[in-house]
Parts: sequence; structure tokens; C-alpha cells
Amino acid sequence: MKHLNIASLKSGYGSVRIINDFSMTVDRGEIVAVIGRNGVGKTTLMKTIIGNIRTSGGTIEFMSRDITPLSPPVRARLGIGYVPQGRGIFSKLTVEGNLMLGMGVGNSREANLDRAFEFFPVLKKRLSQAAGSMSGGEQQQLAIARILVGAPQIMLLDEPSEGIQPNIVQEIGSTIRRLRREENLTIIIVEQNLNLIQAVADRCIVMDRGAAVATLKPSDLDDPEVSQRYLAIG
Amino acid sequence: MDIWGQIISYAYQYFDNAAFLALSAIGLILIYGMMGVINMAHGELMMIGAYTATFAYYAGVPVPIAIIFAGIVTGVVGVIIERLIVRHFYNQLLSSLVVTWGLSLIFTQGMLMIFGPSAKNMPTPFGSFSVGEFSFGIYRMVLFAVALLLIVGLWALFRFSSFGTKAQAAIENPTMAQALGIDTRRIYTLTFGLGSAMGGIAGAMFAMTAAVSPFFGQAYTPLAFITVVIAGGANVIAGLVYAVAYLAGIQTLTVNVFNQYIGYISIMAAAFVALLVMPTGISGFVERRRVRAMQR
Repeated sequence: MKHLNIASLKSGYGSVRIINDFSMTVDRGEIVAVIGRNGVGKTTLMKTIIGNIRTSGGTIEFMSRDITPLSPPVRARLGIGYVPQGRGIFSKLTVEGNLMLGMGVGNSREANLDRAFEFFPVLKKRLSQAAGSMSGGEQQQLAIARILVGAPQIMLLDEPSEGIQPNIVQEIGSTIRRLRREENLTIIIVEQNLNLIQAVADRCIVMDRGAAVATLKPSDLDDPEVSQRYLAIG
Repeated sequence: MDIWGQIISYAYQYFDNAAFLALSAIGLILIYGMMGVINMAHGELMMIGAYTATFAYYAGVPVPIAIIFAGIVTGVVGVIIERLIVRHFYNQLLSSLVVTWGLSLIFTQGMLMIFGPSAKNMPTPFGSFSVGEFSFGIYRMVLFAVALLLIVGLWALFRFSSFGTKAQAAIENPTMAQALGIDTRRIYTLTFGLGSAMGGIAGAMFAMTAAVSPFFGQAYTPLAFITVVIAGGANVIAGLVYAVAYLAGIQTLTVNVFNQYIGYISIMAAAFVALLVMPTGISGFVERRRVRAMQR
């Protein structure tokens, strides 16, 4: 079943069009990496899927429903979880406060909170700590946990490896795989980190100038020429 | 005994001034801190609260209930003007100033047309007590207690309720809050209503100390405005407490050394000096110091 179906999507900032005729479909339980050089529109794509940026053309269908006209809060309540670049943690709130916000989407039960702590046990010990005072890796875990407590259908992950130590990146990679295995979560991940992409992705969509221009197997990126062409380097 | 009377008199004046500033400004600063709008019609919302309480009182409603009723009515008026007008001017300081100033004119002139230039006054309750040759109105201390109650209540709301958590998220990063399913527009509407209700309660309280007229609000708007600007929007509650403590101190001092008029002017001067030293207000200043201390 097509879980997410994006067709001829167009969006941008004001009159500047960033996403230009982007199409892709994602199956339930699939992990798709969106790759491409800096500035091709990967982050804008994620913001358009959650609805923070308005669509100026094309459609986004989620679970066979056209969500293009819906506002971000409504999309979130339908089960789209968004972990933005830079993590989007509310730094003045506590860890608990951040998690409570994730529970506002309606599908939430205390059980989800316990489930999130199974994935990220460190958070349980930090509940009353100001979220802004945690390390980058811990904040990334909090950002993912905050989505999990809302029991999403699909998770949008924008550069989870950014500014995080390599061993934590590995940990995040295994968490992502576990989330798919145990929760049947569909995941779209924007990444520049070759190791992380290869560790988690089923396939890679290559973006250029706002459109999907190719589909690669993660193993294709072993070829240095290919990875040079499609990743941030250079 | 006279010494004691004098000391109590200074303290009484300080708390009276502080209550005046805090009650006038609390609803205004809540709205400014959350949505970046200085609501120039805040004084008129206070006026609506004062009228509501007066009408309720003369209809036989007990004073405390009349005050709460005034808060509810004003809160509803706030929600309506937020939905219809103010919503479109968030984070546009200048446009929102002009628009809410227009609203204040409409409210003032509208009340003048409907109810005429003055209303019946409410009596000041509770009487007074005296120490030595000084006499003190008890109601002024009630004003201070209510100001304190509203500040603590607001703090508790933000600290402990899920509404407070969502509101803080909506201030810090509205787009992220929306992406988490939070309806930030609803939060803003409720906050504006809450700020208006606080103005209404303040107006109802002041209705028992001052003449109620369509121009009632103009006595409170300038000082409320100054208090908010000095407090800054970085931390609403702490900022309000600092600004009130500072301005009430200056005012009490200068009124006693000079006179009422100099006291009023000195508040403006004190505000000017504070903004030269701390352009983002006291709360912005403290917040930056705190962040710097944390980074060390």
C-alpha cells in the first residue's frame, strides 16, 4: 500500500520556488533516504510535507487522503511526526515538557511514553532537566522520542546526524532500524552521512533543483564517484 | 509612634503604587510577551471591566462576583477582537499599535454615545485603619493582594498546566509547535482572552477607587505601557515583578521628596534611564546574563 504519495509537488519561499515538480511514493514500513547536494531543497521538502511551508502546486497524499490543504497541526494529528534539522527542541522547557507536547496529537497514551523510554532510557533520568542544557545527541533522542509518544504512522527525520558524535550516530541508526522493525514505522530521512544512509535506507531518492532525479540502492553509494556526485561533499 | 506611622506610610504607598502598576500592566504584558502586540486598547478593556462591575453591583450582585463577572465579559470581548482584528497583526509591532489604538477610540466613543460621559460610582469597601496620625485605606492593600494573586496564578498556569507548556512552546518556536499538533492560533486567542480578562478584573477593582467614565482607561494606559516596555518580553512574569518593584520604588521616593506631579514625571525618567541601560527591558537583560553565566 502506498503510504505517502507525492505528485508534482511545488513549494518555496515567497516567489522563490525551491521544490519544483517533485514526485515520490513511499510504502508502509519503508525507510527512504532523500539525498542530494546542499541547497537542492531537501529540508524544504520536509517542511512542505509537514505543512510548515505551503504547497503552491501538486498534491501530497497520506494514507490515501489528500492532505495538501491541511494545516500542520492537523497533519501531525493524522500521524506525521517531524524531527527537524537542528532538532527543534524547546530549550526552556524541561525534557518532560517537551515530551508532553508530543503527546498532544491525540493518539497518545501513557504506554507510548514507556515505549519511548525503552528506546531512549537516558531521557527517563532527565525528565526535570531543562532540555536546552542537554548534549546534541541527547536532544536528538528527545526530538525522536517526542514524536514517538504521539504514536505516528510516518516519521520525517531531517539530518539526525548533524553535529553529533559518530558513536551516537551509530546508535541513532540502530534505533531507526528498530523503530521500523518493531513499530512498522515509515521513515523518510534526509541525510548527508554516508554511513548512516547505508545503515538504514532501503533506497535513496536523489534530489536536484527541487525534483527527484534518480533512485539509487544504498550500495550504489559505495562507488566514490556516485557518492561524490550526490552527497554534500564539494 | 510617629516614626512607625511614617514607616508604615512609606510601605503602604509603595505597595499601593506597585498594585496600581501591576494590575494595570499584567494583562498587557502577557499579550505583549506572547504575541509581540502592544494592545493600545488595554485601558479600554479595563474600562469595559469597570462598567461591567458597576452595572452588576447596582443590579445587586455581590462585589467579588461582580469582579469575576467583569473578568469574564472582558475576556469574551478580548477573544472576539482577537478573532476579528488583532490576529492579523501578530509580530507587527507598529501596525498592531495603530490598529489597537483605533479600537481604543471606537470603544471610548462608543461608550460615550451609549452611556454618556459618566457612570455611577462604586463605593470603596472596607474602610480604613490608622497608625498614629496616619490613616490607611484597607482596600488599597486588597488591590495589592489581588495583584499578587494574579501574578502567582499566571505563573502557576504557565508552570504547571498543559496550556502553559503549549503556550511556552508557541512563544519559543511556533512552527515547531504547529508541527507537533499544537493549534497555535487557538493558544493565541486564549492568551489574548486571558490578558483581556485580567485587564477587566483590574478595571473592576479600580472602579471602586476612581470615577468610571468612557475615558477611565486613559488613567492607566501610559503607566501600564511604561511598565511593559521596561519589563521586556523575554520573561513576562519575572519582568513584570522587576519593573513594578523598580518603578514603584522610584515613584514612592520622588512623591515623598517632591510631589505627586514630580513623581509621575520621574517614572518616565526612570523608564528612559532603564531603557538606555537595558534596551530589551529588564527581563531581556537578566535573561542574557543568565545565558552567559550558563555558557561559562
